[in-house]
Amino acid sequence: MTSKPPFSAPLGIGIAMLSCAGQLVRAADSPRFEKDILPVFYHHCFGCHSEKQAKPKGKLRLDTAEGIRGSEVIVAGKPEDSELMKRVSLPHTDEDVMPPLKGGAQPLSDAERATLRQWIADGAKMDSWVKFDHRGAALPAGDASLARADVRQLSAEVQKLVDRSHAAKGTKLNAPASDETFLRRVYFDVVGRIPSLHESARFLGSKDADKRAKLIDELLGSEGYVSHMFNWKADLLRVNTRGLAAGQPGKLYDDWVKDAIRSHMPYDEFVRQLVTSSGHLWENGAVGFYVRDLGMPLDHMSNMTRIFLGTRIECAQCHDHPLEPITQKDFYQMVAFTFGVSNLGSPGGYSPDNVKQYPEIKEKMATMPKDKALGDSVSGTIAPLKRLTVDTDKQLKFPETYAYDTALRGKSVVPRTLFGDEVTASESERRKAFAEWMTSPRNPRFAKNIANRLWKRVMGAGLIEPVDSLSALPNPEHAELMDFLTQTIIRLRFDERAFMAVLLNTRLYQSEAVRETPEPAVAFALRGPQLRRLSAEQIWDSHLVLLAKDIDERKTTFRLEGVFDPQRLKKLTAMTADEIIAQARINLAERTRGRELSLRRIEQAKAVAAAKARGDEKEVKRLTAVHAKQNKEFLGSDMKAMGSEADGESATKETDPRWKSLPPSFIRASETPLPLPLGHFLRQFGQSDRREIDAFNRDPNTTHSLALMNGDLTTRALAEDSFLRRQLAASKAVGEQRTQLIYRAILVRSASAEELAEMAALTKDSPTPEQDIIWALLNSPEFLFNQ
Amino acid sequence: MNSILTDINRRTFMERFAKAVFGVSLLPASAAVRAAEIKIGGKAKSVIFLYMRGGISHIDTFDPKPGKAEMGGVQAISTSADGVQISEWFPRMAKQMHHVSLVRSMTSTQGIHDRGTYLAHTSYFMTPTITHPSLGSWAVKLLGSANSVLPGNILINGSPQHPRSGYMPTHLAPLPIVDPGAGLQNSALPAKIAESDFARRTALAQAMGNRFVQQTPHRDAAAYLKVQQDAAALMKSEDLKVFDISREDARTQAAYGTHTFGKGCLLARRLVESGVRFIEVEDAHNWDTHNDQIKTMENMVPTTDQTMAALLDDLHQRGLLASTLVVMATEFGRTPQISTVTAGRGHHPGVFTWWLAGAGMKGGYVHGKSNEIGEHVAEKPVTMQDCNATIAQAMGIDLQHIEHSPSGRPFTVADKGKPVLELFT
Repeated sequence: MTSKPPFSAPLGIGIAMLSCAGQLVRAADSPRFEKDILPVFYHHCFGCHSEKQAKPKGKLRLDTAEGIRGSEVIVAGKPEDSELMKRVSLPHTDEDVMPPLKGGAQPLSDAERATLRQWIADGAKMDSWVKFDHRGAALPAGDASLARADVRQLSAEVQKLVDRSHAAKGTKLNAPASDETFLRRVYFDVVGRIPSLHESARFLGSKDADKRAKLIDELLGSEGYVSHMFNWKADLLRVNTRGLAAGQPGKLYDDWVKDAIRSHMPYDEFVRQLVTSSGHLWENGAVGFYVRDLGMPLDHMSNMTRIFLGTRIECAQCHDHPLEPITQKDFYQMVAFTFGVSNLGSPGGYSPDNVKQYPEIKEKMATMPKDKALGDSVSGTIAPLKRLTVDTDKQLKFPETYAYDTALRGKSVVPRTLFGDEVTASESERRKAFAEWMTSPRNPRFAKNIANRLWKRVMGAGLIEPVDSLSALPNPEHAELMDFLTQTIIRLRFDERAFMAVLLNTRLYQSEAVRETPEPAVAFALRGPQLRRLSAEQIWDSHLVLLAKDIDERKTTFRLEGVFDPQRLKKLTAMTADEIIAQARINLAERTRGRELSLRRIEQAKAVAAAKARGDEKEVKRLTAVHAKQNKEFLGSDMKAMGSEADGESATKETDPRWKSLPPSFIRASETPLPLPLGHFLRQFGQSDRREIDAFNRDPNTTHSLALMNGDLTTRALAEDSFLRRQLAASKAVGEQRTQLIYRAILVRSASAEELAEMAALTKDSPTPEQDIIWALLNSPEFLFNQ
Repeated sequence: MNSILTDINRRTFMERFAKAVFGVSLLPASAAVRAAEIKIGGKAKSVIFLYMRGGISHIDTFDPKPGKAEMGGVQAISTSADGVQISEWFPRMAKQMHHVSLVRSMTSTQGIHDRGTYLAHTSYFMTPTITHPSLGSWAVKLLGSANSVLPGNILINGSPQHPRSGYMPTHLAPLPIVDPGAGLQNSALPAKIAESDFARRTALAQAMGNRFVQQTPHRDAAAYLKVQQDAAALMKSEDLKVFDISREDARTQAAYGTHTFGKGCLLARRLVESGVRFIEVEDAHNWDTHNDQIKTMENMVPTTDQTMAALLDDLHQRGLLASTLVVMATEFGRTPQISTVTAGRGHHPGVFTWWLAGAGMKGGYVHGKSNEIGEHVAEKPVTMQDCNATIAQAMGIDLQHIEHSPSGRPFTVADKGKPVLELFT
């Protein structure tokens, strides 16, 4: 019900513009060209007045010093005589206003105008600047590679840069965080939940001077890390178990991502495997990356560029980008690298050509007596095989509406990278070459993007915000630190765990949190991590810690079965034409029986309803049992496959004694197949529906309080058999010591004397003092924040 | 509103008069349309959007083809609207057809459930780079809601895939009511918890919250303390009673039916009475009838017929139908041919039926036509965007109004849909 905090706001151009303006205001007394003027030209002028246009508008180029000096629109020292100043100052209704506001371009802000005027008045100096490099230089080859053993040294170097920044600005770090604060924070940031009482006691009780570094390493190596990292990556990749594609076992993509994290796959390799993936989902789960965006090659490229390169190009899908020099041609040239992928290029991503047995099946069916039922069943049987991710020679063409060069309409697009190195590749090698370019240490944005995103994940705010606003513009604020982090992740060979260890071991991370609301246009101040609301997943997972033991180890009982059974699909893939036709006959018989079962169930339900209406509960019970038995007999041994034909999944009973009292759905959020029903705790607290990148939200809402006050999770935590209550029952602690134990379990800190007195006073006459305190801590806003 | 009606009537009169006496139109055709677009609509204070998940067959419901083999032996029956026949499976709706405008020429290009459902709710095609808001979010964004306490946009028994508020802020997303018989989720004290327990515990939590807020200037900290107070107040408020359908008399409850859709529609009517702007009720039946069309439909139809008819009748009896627009929507129709293999019908976006009733829609009216077997549009095609534009027009939303997504992309409520002006009285 309140507005979004800026760091979780959908990341937009509006914020990017503001951040330029914000820097400009501070620099207004003496503007510098590269720092203050170039960003204005970049966002408002380069779209038309730069080398990005074959014929720059009005023959004016503002992306070279020569172009600016040679133009008549800027008269050094005389802003009032400068045509440029006049045109950008016209009211937005004037048709001569620059930039022309048609098509989404934005007028200059007052601050930007003031800076521009000042710069011209000061002589329009450009120092040694010669020209703007639109493609940005490829990164130079870095120093020797590093390993986990170098983490401590690297942390010290990061901290040195942080300290240097404070010295230059006259600011300072926040006070060091206590062990308790560090403990809770590092559990949230690395494994995504609060520590259990046992885990807390072990760390807090340790006298080891090196215990923080050791805990960081232990957590980075744990299964909890896989769970928490999966949520983060799944939000970026929009992994959606059931929503992947109709008739496809989407869970295999979930599993692939989890396995990649679990097996320490380096980040660049992870991206390469996704981008170059081929085959069926049951052969290579990574193809989920393409299956996710069936038939939508343009959007697929927009999303990929945004998450892997920190660059938003989707505006250029339909027209030149109004706020950056990215043309529609640039966009199409990028898409040409992946357009040939069968799933993307064919409308609907569905082709019988993808089934190798198809021609032979067709031939055989033609020789058999016409049998529509069998024909339909064959189609249904091979349907899952049609979604094959494979390279084809399909060519991307410029659209018939392409407005910038009519001669190009309908012509094939030659692939070209948007920035950094140029790439040439034969048709069959396009994707491979593209993936190499993208993930290369030379790529100016690949390593920078992941370093900045991981920094944000840990610190609560990116060094560059929004995280998907990387461009060829130089980045003055924190540039040195950003470059160091970029080099660090490259030198660590994209080992995300090692990189996170570097950040987590800094004195910056281990400082008191910044407790204010971040201001939209202001760069991260390097004082300490930003206080922020926990994600829906962190809240849910933390509740589970109170309900059951070893919650990271509990896995989903959700299985792919029937037509989705990966083994069955593997067999199907390898079948001959004859075998497929035979399988189709079996499937037809199964389907016929399935239909009959559905009809039986209708009649059975009617009989039960009639008994219910008479109020004959005994008969309802009897009928229910009889029907279950009859249906089981009817289906015989095939029941499992049959019963799952509709959704291809099933759940089995819990046998592990640690979790027996918990329903199967009480598993870590990462284990839960998406999408969850509306009204589920995770959805209420803003879990992403994974339609869009990072579509989560963390806005406070009345339904959150209702769920925490009256909902199932709280009721279960209060129940006698909850893990927390059982631990309390087993404890010999009395009085204030018990209260301390509850504080430790839920808020991961000790209570102050004042709090203890308050708790005692308010629960003095209560029949249930212990439950009261548990309830109050779970409902305290403090529980919902990472601080 | 009355004055507009009078204006339109007067103009109609003047047009006829001018034509008869002078042989000319008073206004040029294009200007007449523009004037009509401005003056027509705006009567729907609330909308009840009934969604039939899975794609309900048009032939088996509101676009029967009497005597054709495609009917599978099912008959058409006459209704309270002259010359309008519907399937014999809807005897109760047959008595309400004088309130209803049928649009029998709906057409779409989306034959996959989630894509069709998305288009029906948002008027835009599904893409992986943006989520568009559903119509209810547009309505509360642009019109607000008459009740300042209750959310203006409520979704009863909604699917997990609902686009909700899309790129718009989450406070515009529909509040989900998971079980209409149980009221607002988590708004009642759990079993065995007394009021006194609750009071003591909230006092503790507020004391803790105050301390946290004092140390934490971040605005979300204070906001969480505030929503906790709001939630506690809501639990005690009179407004919460609107969610309690057990307060209705037994006859009314029985008329709607005790199944989910029946309870949902009864709750929807109560919400309309409280001034809620937009309520969507999703039928609990899955209308994706690939197998055994006739038997499956015979099983599902009666409760749906009962509830729809009860809702229209009830709204009418209470004088609410004049200001409430009821819409029945679905993602596509189903093939005219009943499969010889499965005895079911497949997906069919080529032509299907939505209907609208109340809030100034013509009653007993049929717009557009499918061909003789219900396979394609024969007359006056209407897209989902057009129909959503009609709903928006009925609510008085400016169809040209532009909202920008956070990345600066411009959108309108029904994309390029044009309202079907013939539906308005």
